[in-house]
Amino acid sequence: MAAGAILEIRGLAKRFRARAPGAESPWIIRDLSFSVREGELLTIVGPSGAGKTTLLNMIAQTDTASGGEVRFRAQVAPLGDAKALRPGLSRQIGYITQDDNLLPWRTCLGNVLFPLEVQGRLDGQTRARAQSLVEAVGLAGFENHYPHELSGGMRKRTSLIRTLVYDPPVILMDEPFGAVDAQTRALLQADLLRLWGEGRKTIVFVTHDIAEAIALGDRTLVLSRAPASVKSEHLISIPRPRDIGGILTRPEFVTLYQAIRAEVA
Amino acid sequence: MARRSEVETGGAVPAPAAQRRSQRLDQALELVFLLALWQVLSLWLGTYWISSPLATLAGLFRGLASGELLLHASYTAGEAAIGFLVGGIPAAALPFALRRMPVMTAILDPFMVGGYGAPKLALAPLFILWFGIGIESKVALVGVTVFFIVYFSTLSGIRALDTRLVQMAQVMDANEHAVARHIVFPGAVPYIFTGLRIAMPYSIGGAVIAELISANRGLGYLVQLRAMNYDTTGIFVALAATTCIVFLGNWLVNALERFLLRWRPPADAMLQADA
Ligand SMILES: Nc1ncnc2c1ncn2[C@@H]1O[C@H](COP(=O)(O)OP(=O)(O)OP(=O)(O)O)[C@@H](O)[C@H]1O
Ligand SMILES: [Mg+2]
Repeated sequence: MAAGAILEIRGLAKRFRARAPGAESPWIIRDLSFSVREGELLTIVGPSGAGKTTLLNMIAQTDTASGGEVRFRAQVAPLGDAKALRPGLSRQIGYITQDDNLLPWRTCLGNVLFPLEVQGRLDGQTRARAQSLVEAVGLAGFENHYPHELSGGMRKRTSLIRTLVYDPPVILMDEPFGAVDAQTRALLQADLLRLWGEGRKTIVFVTHDIAEAIALGDRTLVLSRAPASVKSEHLISIPRPRDIGGILTRPEFVTLYQAIRAEVA
Repeated sequence: MARRSEVETGGAVPAPAAQRRSQRLDQALELVFLLALWQVLSLWLGTYWISSPLATLAGLFRGLASGELLLHASYTAGEAAIGFLVGGIPAAALPFALRRMPVMTAILDPFMVGGYGAPKLALAPLFILWFGIGIESKVALVGVTVFFIVYFSTLSGIRALDTRLVQMAQVMDANEHAVARHIVFPGAVPYIFTGLRIAMPYSIGGAVIAELISANRGLGYLVQLRAMNYDTTGIFVALAATTCIVFLGNWLVNALERFLLRWRPPADAMLQADA
């Protein structure tokens, strides 16, 4: 295991069950390897359908791998047997899914409090933290709205802080800022960087947006088309703290952008 | 009936006032038309066969004033309500208990399908034989009728469970109990209500039928009694009273549903989406 790696993926492979008996199902992911250092913000880009969500599902242990190894600290995820999975590994891995997966029967605030409630950690202090997160992402005044009364971007933000509120050391994010306008997106990115800077979490951040991947990441992985594997790796040496708006014109940024752009295309 | 309940659920978020008014107008016109049709039929066939709306209304008021109608209606409503709970609560609970036991569910399935399909009204004489002509036999008939309807609708609610929500909760370290309480149950509530709404008129109907066969009180008994006396208007009055109870029950179920399901997008929007 690489020094300081908190998460290690080795020769990971995935194929879903065949749709008809006897039929061969294609490999979605094959021979995928990388590791994530503790406290790192790793971004992953790749074409649509490459298997990014599938990869995160296997890391979060909501889905099984067909081969290879997913190791979190010293724990190796079980292969094949869905029953042996430990989703979230006892709240060590938070997962902000691509769909917001809000509970429709809970209000915005009710959804944010949900993890605290089921973990039995809802008290004055955690409640105050939830409230401050609600305000931090601009949802103040919408606490009592049900999901169907929120915009797509507001739902995304709700799902984002629902994971932040219980403070898991590792957070997987699947295009968390996909459904918001450019302005809000920049704000949320800045918020994320600030929160990450304070808490030094380990974050694996999947996105379609190359600029976002560079602006946020310590390192960017480019995945190939299915069967997905790591096509290339880019260290982002732009110093922190970063200014999300100003970064786009830096020469390092432009070079990286063009290099990654050429690979994803 | 169906149309009426849609309008009522739509009331959660008020439709534009003009639209609501035109709906009310439509309903009023419908009512007037039906009453007119009824009047024409009774004139045409004679009140011996079909009582007139006016005579029925007068009978209703007379029955109410004397307290007789209310007394019998309260028996019927009480039987239906108790049977509704006796059948509905276990029916809504059982699928949750069986959720983790697919083998048990599969074993029970043929019995449940059989029970669902069997003509329950044919059981009425049997229940009267077993439980006597008192309230027990009516509650049993209503309970059995309601049970199978609610069981299957609850079951389909559990089967429609969104597994992505469950995974989300599991990632957040929710245990089995929390998943059941916070995700499976609230997700199934709309389905339970579908069952309750369908079962409601059946519960009144079941009580009335059991009373028709054998009873010494209730609206069904009243119908039976008046039929023997060739009192057509009297029968119409009892039937009208039955219909009123169905409306009342419907209103109660809808109000409860509206309260419990206030998190849902308004029914108006769903109607439009369906169309
Ligand atoms: N449950 C499933 N059963 C069968 N095939 C699946 C399943 N889930 C995903 N796939 C397939 O796996 C491939 C990768 O899907 P995945 O959702 O991981 O892509 P992605 O990289 O996240 O795409 P996007 O960027 O559009 O979200 C797709 O071809 C998809 O059809
Ligand atoms: Mg995806």
